[in-house]
Amino acid sequence: MSTHSTHRPSALRELIRRPYFWGVIAIALLLLINSIKDPGYLAVSYNSASGNLVGNLIDILRAAAPIAMISVGMCLVIATAGIDLSVGSVMAVAGAVAMEFLASAGGSPTAALGALGLALLLGAALGAVNAVLVSVVGLQPFISTLVLMLAGRGLAKVITGGQNTAASNDTFRWLANGYVFGIPVVFLLAVAIVILVGLLVRRSALGLMIEAIGMDPRAARLAGVNRRGLLFAVYIASGTLAAVAGVFASASVMTVDVSNTGYQLEMDAILAVVIGGTSLAGGKFNITGAAIGALLIATLDKTVVFLGISSSATPAFKAIVIIALCLLQSERIRAMFRARRSRPSDISSDTPKEAVAA
Amino acid sequence: MPTSPIVEMKDISISFPGVKALDRVNFRLFPGEVHALMGENGAGKSTLIKALTGVYTIDEGTVIVSGRSRRLGGTADAQAAGISTVYQEVNLCTNLSIGENVMLGYEVRGPFGINWAATHRRASQMLQKVGLGALNPRLPLSSLSIALQQLVAISRATVTDSKVLILDEPTSSLDANEVEDLFRVIRALRDEGVAILFVSHFLDQIYEISDRLTVLRNGVFQGEFMTTEIEQSELISTMVGKEVGALDSLERASARRDVDRGTPVYEARGISRKGSLEPTDATFHAGEVLGIAGLLGSGRTELARLVYGADKLESGTVRLRGAEANISSPSQALEARIAYASENRRDEGIIRDLSVRENLILAVQAERGWARPLPAQEKTALVEKYMTALNVRPADPDRPIRNLSGGNQQKVLLGRWLATQPEVLILDEPTRGIDVGAKTEIMEQVIALAEDGVAIVFISSELDEVVRLSDRIMVMKDRRKLAELVVDETVTSDSIITTIADESAPEQPGSTQTAGTGAGS
Amino acid sequence: MRPNRRTVLGLSAAGLVATALAACSSGSASGGADDPVTIGFVAVGPEGAWRQANEQNIQDTFTEDAGFSLKFAPATNLDQKSQIDAFASFVDEGVDLILLSATEGSGWEESLNRAQEAEIPVLLIDRGIEPDDQDLYVTRLAPNNVAVSSSVAEWAISTFPDGANYFVLEGPAGVSVVNERNEGWNELMADQSDFTDLGSQSANWSTEEAKSVFETVLKSNNNDVQLVFAQNDEMGLGAAQAVEEAGLTPGEDVKIATIDGTEAALNALVDGTLSFVAEYNPLFGEQALEAVNAALEGETLDPYIEIESTTFDSPESAEEALPDRKY
Repeated sequence: MSTHSTHRPSALRELIRRPYFWGVIAIALLLLINSIKDPGYLAVSYNSASGNLVGNLIDILRAAAPIAMISVGMCLVIATAGIDLSVGSVMAVAGAVAMEFLASAGGSPTAALGALGLALLLGAALGAVNAVLVSVVGLQPFISTLVLMLAGRGLAKVITGGQNTAASNDTFRWLANGYVFGIPVVFLLAVAIVILVGLLVRRSALGLMIEAIGMDPRAARLAGVNRRGLLFAVYIASGTLAAVAGVFASASVMTVDVSNTGYQLEMDAILAVVIGGTSLAGGKFNITGAAIGALLIATLDKTVVFLGISSSATPAFKAIVIIALCLLQSERIRAMFRARRSRPSDISSDTPKEAVAA
Repeated sequence: MPTSPIVEMKDISISFPGVKALDRVNFRLFPGEVHALMGENGAGKSTLIKALTGVYTIDEGTVIVSGRSRRLGGTADAQAAGISTVYQEVNLCTNLSIGENVMLGYEVRGPFGINWAATHRRASQMLQKVGLGALNPRLPLSSLSIALQQLVAISRATVTDSKVLILDEPTSSLDANEVEDLFRVIRALRDEGVAILFVSHFLDQIYEISDRLTVLRNGVFQGEFMTTEIEQSELISTMVGKEVGALDSLERASARRDVDRGTPVYEARGISRKGSLEPTDATFHAGEVLGIAGLLGSGRTELARLVYGADKLESGTVRLRGAEANISSPSQALEARIAYASENRRDEGIIRDLSVRENLILAVQAERGWARPLPAQEKTALVEKYMTALNVRPADPDRPIRNLSGGNQQKVLLGRWLATQPEVLILDEPTRGIDVGAKTEIMEQVIALAEDGVAIVFISSELDEVVRLSDRIMVMKDRRKLAELVVDETVTSDSIITTIADESAPEQPGSTQTAGTGAGS
Repeated sequence: MRPNRRTVLGLSAAGLVATALAACSSGSASGGADDPVTIGFVAVGPEGAWRQANEQNIQDTFTEDAGFSLKFAPATNLDQKSQIDAFASFVDEGVDLILLSATEGSGWEESLNRAQEAEIPVLLIDRGIEPDDQDLYVTRLAPNNVAVSSSVAEWAISTFPDGANYFVLEGPAGVSVVNERNEGWNELMADQSDFTDLGSQSANWSTEEAKSVFETVLKSNNNDVQLVFAQNDEMGLGAAQAVEEAGLTPGEDVKIATIDGTEAALNALVDGTLSFVAEYNPLFGEQALEAVNAALEGETLDPYIEIESTTFDSPESAEEALPDRKY
């Protein structure tokens, strides 16, 4: 992809206008940098022994899966002008209950199913607690979910008795480490869930309703939109998806680490949502964007390791990438760019004014 | 009278994607005059104002302020050039104090930073000029009525020592007394030599206050007139560019209709809510237009909100088509085929960032529930039907509704409620702040709906409109019903005003009213 | 300059009240068994098996039977702010002594100064503070991180006489434990020209993150890694999983050495997935008890009391220790 292709037909321009365009570019750039360090970086090989695809890209896809899960839930919550800070803790709780269950129920596929079901149920229940606090009690989402963010890890600790519980169950392990047709199961599941949620909100009227209450709760209420029901839906969705992520994270190593599983992942999720072009003020949301944001964060994490950036410089490196991205997404900066570009090549309809008027 | 204009805009053109909002428009503003900018919604008034205040950059043309050609790149440039604006919906910080709002950015500084005591003293002096000297500048702005907030906004403009003051629809939410207060302030400022650009849809007000007027239509300059030299009918025809017969043909339209006086569609007994409505009875019949006449704060909007379930009833009973019913939320009301178009179009009507299409189908979709989306075909048909029927312009359903003019936004909202196929339709100030053309179209729709058997509740502060449209009129004052009149030749806007005025008010009206009178004294 | 200027001023200003309080508290301490000694324990909370064992051991030692009333205040989500708050409220309550396991090394000066002004002795458990101003606390009890990680390095040098490519999985950057464990390792490894340092990354003490980090490390080095030094057991176990996923055998293709010595790690040592485990002994309640009593009596203690630790370099040694493992 070249950057000086603005005079091409509108399909490309359409892509550039997509809010997550710069996220895609950033992923491409990071991959490019990695390829410069090692020309074989992008290669995906076929492991004839196991029949699996192997490569850095596959690792990235696998690492992105749990982040994508919580980002999708977070995206819906943010669209209602809320926020869910509890997702990281819900991950730990879901992982804890799954591992505890498996530790006692053993290695059968039925046990794996039971653990999964239990984790999702608990995630949904915790989401419902958030929903009650936000929509019935009327607390601010930030505070409501902060409560569960702090209490959640305590709950996980109670479930495991303070231990980092490990268990063995091949079916459960397969969820995070297995392959189907050579592709990681965890990635296929994540993609399936993103598509499913995307279809659900866009094919039904859920998306429109969520945007309506996020943009203007008063007007939406007078138009007959049931805000409480929608808030329940999004917070429960967020909790359930966080539980899925928690299952992925704990199944990956078959251990739940009550203080580290999902630790600060709510920040990654919020970041992914913002990178994906959803405003924290609520309203218009973009699930594909959130998934791409998750992919970017996973790519960034992997790049840091691959390049061997020293661990003390890692946070700074990530911060620079993210600040650059946010700047590129900012409407004002983009308008400045357009103005600069359109001045020499005299006629261009993309004047800064349009940005103001639009 | 000085002869050189303080503002001169020549051949101004502004385009938006797909729309030429202004096409070589000329405009002059002289010091010490009140200049009315006239035109339908979508004529380009707001665009011209935004060009003058630096919100929009102009594509072509020149702006000369105080004899110097200017390039206004933002509101700060405009302020520096001495241009202040008071917008239709007041743009102040409601959580700051009155004084802070007046003096924001011009606080009196002492050796230790801002001297708040002096700042508030100075604010008091400035407020004195607009007749609000008695106000405590330390009170939060939110404690004031909209009318007083407006005066505060004007007071703020005087602080910045503006030579040009733009008032965009300042009277749209004021009652008669408040308008008088406002006009007194405007005249005082004019006599000090301030050039005032005034936008209003109330023709009477235009004739009362303005010295000169400029008419725009569809982004094109139609002419500049001295107010005393143009007849009202001529002015209206210049603005709308079509015969003004429509309004007249509505005269006594009610006489043509038969109202089914059997079981009412909706019947309320003694419904009330503390602080907003005393126990009140209300009956809506199919095929009837019930007008509600009353001033701001009379309980007209409060009644509508109770009927619609937007506010909760505290007492009283409701019967729908004869059967007892309980409506405690808008979604229940919609289910019972009751729709309510709020007077507050911006905050409770449109959802700015959604498209026209989405705004239009929102209520229908909400009623169906999220799990049963409208099929695409039905959606398109619905949108097309109402956009055509209501003549929504531009006819592009994918445009964000915020880009439409007020009148067209109102039409889309009307379409939203019509799409739910209501049996009771409550229209709260549906014609406020919109142009004559759109007004006529909306009133025609109302009559057509009533003829189709919908029970219409029509709330408006324009008594002429109420009298013209209604079969029956409920007169309200001080949060209760004064009288119910069946409309015949004896009922006129004057007779209603007499009814309201003659009713001796034993106690002082509500807080907004008190504040309003306070400003007058 | 032992009692710094501020303390002296503070003492004279706060005057009689402070001395009265101090007298009162030391009186009760010498009173012994009849009147329980109140101890505030500003702890780390759930972090891993090692911390669990350590904090449980402390709580089991300072029991009411032993004449103590221990107030246990674990940090919320490893947040230093919550620790500082807990510390402050212990000082305000006027406890007799404070035990502190800091989540982060820096930023404790002000809190410790306040304790000193209130004449409340502070003992550091495990975690040190930075900068290490020994005037601010009585003593620090901890296994010697530098020595423990040196023992890992010694094992590595003897196991790989011809050298190896190694990678280090660190805890969160900036934590004093991490700095010390790096120090002990680097001291010895720096001179080893046969060894190649492939770099180091933080995996935040987490199994899952360590697995994710190490899978990428293996790829970026074409699996040419022979030795992993994981600074805690959890990360070592994560690295072992990454090794297996890459189709290699931990213990043969890649040898993994860890610090801590939890039960899970010793089990892995028995299996052969881990190759070396250096214990970082969490069970020093007894030593802590002695130090606390001495501090309450006003005795002068060494600023650092080292806790003995052992190492496990074979499945057999691990098997031997497993039955007694409490954590």
